[in-house]
Amino acid sequence: MKHAAMLERLSNLHRSRLQQYAARRSDSDAASPAFESVRSFLDHFSDSKRSIEAELARCRALASDPASAPNLKPELENVSASIADLDRLVAENSYFLPSYDVRSSLKAISELKEALDSANSELVPRKKFSFKNKASKKDQCILVKQIEEIKVVDAEKSNPVGVRDSPGFRNKENAVLVKCFRVSEEGEGDFSLSDLNSCEVYLKGRIRALFVHRLRNCRIFAGPVQGSILIEDVNDCLFMLASHQIRIHQARATDFYLRVRSRPIIEDSSGVRFAPYRLFYKGIDEDMKDSGLGEETGNWANVDDFKWLRAVQSPNWCLIPEEEHVGTTNASDREEQCDDE
Amino acid sequence: MGLLSIIRKIKRKEKEMRILMVGLDNSGKTTIVLKINGEDTSVISPTLGFNIKTIKYQKYSLNIWDVGGQKTIRSYWRNYFEQTDGLVWVVDSSDVRRLDDCRMELEKLLKEERLSGASLLVFANKQDIQGALKPSEIAKKYKYYRKYSFHDIFYPRIKVPLSHSQHIISPRDWYIASLGTIP
Ligand SMILES: Nc1nc2c(ncn2[C@@H]2O[C@H](COP(=O)(O)OP(=O)(O)OP(=O)(O)O)[C@@H](O)[C@H]2O)c(=O)[nH]1
Ligand SMILES: [Mg+2]
Repeated sequence: MKHAAMLERLSNLHRSRLQQYAARRSDSDAASPAFESVRSFLDHFSDSKRSIEAELARCRALASDPASAPNLKPELENVSASIADLDRLVAENSYFLPSYDVRSSLKAISELKEALDSANSELVPRKKFSFKNKASKKDQCILVKQIEEIKVVDAEKSNPVGVRDSPGFRNKENAVLVKCFRVSEEGEGDFSLSDLNSCEVYLKGRIRALFVHRLRNCRIFAGPVQGSILIEDVNDCLFMLASHQIRIHQARATDFYLRVRSRPIIEDSSGVRFAPYRLFYKGIDEDMKDSGLGEETGNWANVDDFKWLRAVQSPNWCLIPEEEHVGTTNASDREEQCDDE
Repeated sequence: MGLLSIIRKIKRKEKEMRILMVGLDNSGKTTIVLKINGEDTSVISPTLGFNIKTIKYQKYSLNIWDVGGQKTIRSYWRNYFEQTDGLVWVVDSSDVRRLDDCRMELEKLLKEERLSGASLLVFANKQDIQGALKPSEIAKKYKYYRKYSFHDIFYPRIKVPLSHSQHIISPRDWYIASLGTIP
C-alpha cells in the first residue's frame, strides 16, 4: 500500500535523523530515543515533563538561598534546553502520533515554557533570556547581520508602499449597505467589510474571498463565498455566511449562522454562538450550487477553538438554541445601496 | 564557518530535501501542498498542527512540512526549523490589510539561526483573485530581502486554482530550481 510505503519512508528518515542528531551531540545520552509506539512516546514525554517540572521547582528552592543564587541562571538555562529538546522530540515524532496527542503535547510544552518564563522573570529579574540554541554562536549567520544593517537604512522609508484597498464597505455608521455581485464581474474578486458600526449589510451573489475587520453591532447577510472568509475583531454582531472556510479571530458576543464545507475555527474569541445558514434571495440556490456549497454538511456545528485544544467542550462557543434562531432572512428586495457611491 | 556548514549540508542532502511551508493562516499553504501532490482540495480545514507530505521528484525526495499559521500555533513553527533546506513563505496576495503582519512574521523567522543556510522563497499566492497585489508589489514590500543573499524568488505565475479546470505550472520544477542553488 502506498500509505504504508510512505510511513516506512518516514520512519527510515526519522531513524537516520536521530542518528545524525546523536552524532551532532557530543553527549550521546541526551539524544532522543526512537519510539516504536505512541504509548512509549507518551511515557517518555510525561517522564521528561515531570523531570522538567521538578527542575523548575528546584530552581525556585535555589532562589531562596542566597549562597546558591549564582547557580540559578545556568540551572534555568538547562531547563530551557530540556524544554527545547522536548519540543523537538514532539516535532520529530509527530508523524506517527495521533493529532490529539500532538496537540496535547504541544500544549503541555507551552505550559512548561510559561512556567519557565515566569520563573525567569521572578527569579532573574534583570536579564531575560530566550530559547536560543547557543551551541552555534560561531555559526551565526552573517546574513542575519546583513538584514539588520539594511533594515536600519530602510527604517525611515519603510512606510507601507501605498497599497490600494480592495473593493468593500468601510467606515460607515447606521447604514444599510447592499451589494449585488454579478457572476461575470466581481465573482472573481474579494470583498472587505471594515470599521462598520451599527450597520446592516447584504451581499448578494458569489464572491471569491471575504475579509471582515472591526465591526460593532452589525448584521451581515452574505451569499456564497467560494474561497475563505477571515473575520477579525467583531463585537455584538450577527453573521449569516456560506463559505468553504471560515476563520474567526477576536470575536465577542456574536452569532454565526453558517454553511461551511470545512470546520469553522475560532481563536481569541468568547461568547460566540453557531447555527445553520438561513438566507434567501432570488437565485441563491444556483449561486450556492455553483460555489460548491449546495449541500449542508453540518459543519457549522463542528467548531475548532484554537485557544482550547482539549477534548472537552470549549467555554468560548456554543450552539444557538433552536427557539432563539432568527427566521429565514429574505434579501430578495434589497437593491444596491451605499451612502457615498 | 557559515559556508562550510552550508556545503556540508548540501552534500548530506543530495537526495532528500526538507521544505518548510509557513505563512499566516489562510494564505493557502495546505492547498498548495495538496495541489502539488495532485490531491483533492475541495475540503480543507484550517490546519491545527501540521501535515507532512513526501513527494518524489526525479532523484529527490521532497519532504514538505505544512505547518498551521493561526496565531496560537505560530510559536510552534520553530519546532520544525532543524535541518530545513528550504523555507517557503506563503503570502495571501489579496490580504492587503495583513501585509505588514505578514512581513513582520517573516522577519522574526529569519532571525532564527537554525534556519541559516536554508533557501527562502516567497510565494505570492492567490494571484487569480481580482485585486490581489502583484508579485512585484509584494516584492517591493519585502524589498530588503532582495539584497539578502538567501536565494529569494518571487514566483509570479503559479496559481492554485479553486476548480480543477485550470492547470498549474509545474511547481515541482520550480521547487528544485530554487532549492537546488543555495548560494
Ligand atoms: N482564489 C484562491 N484561493 C486560494 C488559493 N490558494 C488557496 N486558496 C484558498 O484560501 C483558503 C485558505 O487555504 P488553506 O490552504 O487552508 O490555507 P493555509 O495557509 O493552509 O491556512 P492555515 O492552515 O490556517 O495556516 C482556502 O479557502 C483556499 O481555497 C489561490 O491560489 N487562489
Ligand atoms: Mg493549512
